[in-house]
Amino acid sequence: MNENLFSSFITPTMMGLPIVILIIMFPTLLFPTPTRLINNRLVSAQQWLAQLILKQMMMMHSPKGRTWALMLISLIMFIGSTNLLGLLPHSFTPTTQLSMNLGMAIPLWAGTVITGFRYKTKASLAHFLPQGTPVPLIPMLVIIETISLFIQPMALAVRLTANITAGHLLMHLIGGAALALISISPTTALITFIILILLTILEFAVALIQAYVFTLLVSLYLHDNT
Amino acid sequence: MPQLDTSTWLVTIIAMILTLFILIQLKFHKYSYPLSPAPKTFKSTSFPTPWETKWTKFYSPLLLPQQ
Repeated sequence: MNENLFSSFITPTMMGLPIVILIIMFPTLLFPTPTRLINNRLVSAQQWLAQLILKQMMMMHSPKGRTWALMLISLIMFIGSTNLLGLLPHSFTPTTQLSMNLGMAIPLWAGTVITGFRYKTKASLAHFLPQGTPVPLIPMLVIIETISLFIQPMALAVRLTANITAGHLLMHLIGGAALALISISPTTALITFIILILLTILEFAVALIQAYVFTLLVSLYLHDNT
Repeated sequence: MPQLDTSTWLVTIIAMILTLFILIQLKFHKYSYPLSPAPKTFKSTSFPTPWETKWTKFYSPLLLPQQ
């Protein structure tokens, strides 16, 4: 039972070849490059969506922070499309892999922190001591703020991994339960099936929300440091 | 938990870095948002020369009082 449940999270290899590379690269095929002044519907819709997201997200940043616009829009589209594709049956979701999420979170967070250190050194260091703390508490508070700074990338990665993995696991379990209940009691199976439908709707929302939250937090760390 | 099997971590991370930092950004950096076309304001191309803005009497050598 254990092995069966987690088997969808093993990185897929086919005869020793890591096809996980192809699976991670697949969402890029769903975003065609615009080549005309007026494009077809798909590209126009994606451009409109990108503009909506960009206006919302980059409004609070200084011109220095706005240089990250391409990175942030790529990030949110990549995570969003990967999560949504993972809701298809029997598909592999790369964002369930802790390796990938750590690989996304640590470089982006480190980039924001290093940018802050390079351009606003005193202000970045001042983040470690909130304003108006009583003097005896200062050493402890610096330690606490340092820990909270270094936990930011870990929290980013683990939050995304855990949310998507938990959602997929729940869908597996409830789907399996609904299937097993059909022969025992069809009414309970129907209730379980309705729960499954509601869960799937939730997972659609979670897929998009998690992408948004990840990008928003990176954007927030950027704002602190530019 | 299969996510903690570190033998596949290198492949996954390299594939992700390639995709996220190169492939996807190549798609998105081509997005352009031109301003909608609007007619330019009409400006006259000829300027009145300074000596034509005000009528001045035209002095020609032959019209001066003969001396």
